[in-house]
Amino acid sequence: MTLLDPTPATLADRLAGPPVGRSWADMDEFETFLDDGGIVEAHDDMPEAYRTEVFRFIELHANSELMGGLTERDWIPRAPGLRLKQIFLAKTQDEIGHAHLLYMVAADMGMKDREQMLADLFAGRTRFHNVFHYQAVTWADQIAIAYLVDAAAFASQRAVFQNCSYGPYKRVLKRIIAEEGFHMRHGEEMLLRIAEGTRIQHEMFQAALERWWMPAVQLFGPDSSPDDPLLAWHIKSERNEVLRHAYVQKYVPLLQGYGFDIPDSGLRHDPVDGWLISEIDWSELRATMRNGGPDSRRRIATAAGSYADTAWVRDALAAAS
Amino acid sequence: MIDLSPAAREHLLALADDEHMIGAQHATWIGVTPFLEEDLAFCSIAQDELGHALELYQLLTDDVDRFALLRDAADYRSCWFAERSTPEWSDALVRHWLYDHAERLRWQALAHSSVAEVAVLARLVDREESFHRQHADQLMRRLLTSGEARPIVIAALHRLLPIAVGIFDPVASERGAIDEGVVASSSADLAMSWRTTISQQLETLGVTIDWPVGTDEQRHRTVRDPGFAAFHDELREVISLDPGAVW
Repeated sequence: MTLLDPTPATLADRLAGPPVGRSWADMDEFETFLDDGGIVEAHDDMPEAYRTEVFRFIELHANSELMGGLTERDWIPRAPGLRLKQIFLAKTQDEIGHAHLLYMVAADMGMKDREQMLADLFAGRTRFHNVFHYQAVTWADQIAIAYLVDAAAFASQRAVFQNCSYGPYKRVLKRIIAEEGFHMRHGEEMLLRIAEGTRIQHEMFQAALERWWMPAVQLFGPDSSPDDPLLAWHIKSERNEVLRHAYVQKYVPLLQGYGFDIPDSGLRHDPVDGWLISEIDWSELRATMRNGGPDSRRRIATAAGSYADTAWVRDALAAAS
Repeated sequence: MIDLSPAAREHLLALADDEHMIGAQHATWIGVTPFLEEDLAFCSIAQDELGHALELYQLLTDDVDRFALLRDAADYRSCWFAERSTPEWSDALVRHWLYDHAERLRWQALAHSSVAEVAVLARLVDREESFHRQHADQLMRRLLTSGEARPIVIAALHRLLPIAVGIFDPVASERGAIDEGVVASSSADLAMSWRTTISQQLETLGVTIDWPVGTDEQRHRTVRDPGFAAFHDELREVISLDPGAVW
């Protein structure tokens, strides 16, 4: 039995029917189980606090994958080539595919089904990541999203996958981060091309960097609180500030090496701590996450409007099944 | 790019441009189809159609992207049915269904083309297209047998059929392409087969249609759909920014 296959694996066991869920006497016993590397499954009688926190986290992730796909769709019609259009379609398809998988994992936790989660998202009752509340205003923004945002998302998701205690989420994350790795490499390739390109391309990306640098850095969130239950319950394996710092250490020298200026007047290099960015004003993130970002209203309206307009299809298929 | 006669070139250009336009139009639905599974399926179909266009354009030019995006409108040979935007999902689905049944016939007519590269490509494409038709057929069948969805789909059929018949508007040099063995059947013959297929499928679902009479508005595919200019501007917006740029 491996970490990724925590249920009994023999044919006889599988034929015996669904595994019986485990239960724990109290939270201390449950947390000991998690600290020992235990993996929780959907059929387990997990503590309600764990179920609620993990569900919210996965729902946020699912919503973000869906709205991320919508962020990138604006510029797909204008892709400067057929192959590029196919690539960006495939990438957006991946994001929506991730949402599809994550909504299933979340729904299996028994708190809301997919319809309810989408209804809450479109009504503004639930959230999605800050970066998807911004608008891509040029093709270079599309590249900035692929280079900066996908890399931040990849780092964040990989840290969750590393030590994730909820089995269904961990198994889906394995596929998601594999695909996000391709997206990140694609972003790197696109950036290399634009960095070595014409003056117009260089200026376009610099302008995009000024729009996307801070949202990408903020994606990791404010410093983790000492009692963050997602850390205690091994959903997150790393503190937000540690992931953010590692991201800055990697991307500041890379971007500078390509000849771009980091849009942070307070950026400095410390011989011990490395690259240090200015103090972040988290009020922007908080407002954005409350659907008060620059493109929040349009993004949600697009998704909600399309969903409402096509309800007749879902209703017909549901009635026929 | 390969050596092609003017007739062969124009015939293949018409199919390439149709595949490009239909793929680009399908792509506009990414993320906003009725449900997530449909997003994934329809996006795959869009990618396939763009891939078919890409393969055909590679036979016609060494600079695919500029050729595909930067020609003057009059130099395209796409049909209005592929060029037109479909803001309603019912129209997008019905177009997908009508187009893919027509597309099968068009590619099959190329399966034994005298242009060897085209014959090989036609046989490869035919396999992909069978999945597209299964997808469209299943959705059409399920929606046309649903009380509330049926009139919506039928209304879309009536809206689209008058321009759908323009898929089979031949290019001016079609006779030459047939004589050279590039394509096995005339557009008129393919149109007959297509109408039979569509009528039979609809009849099994209790839908009868009056076939509209084709017009010559497309003038052998040399005149663009009224909405083409705006769509074309969008397609070429980025590639037009900087002639020296490689993206």
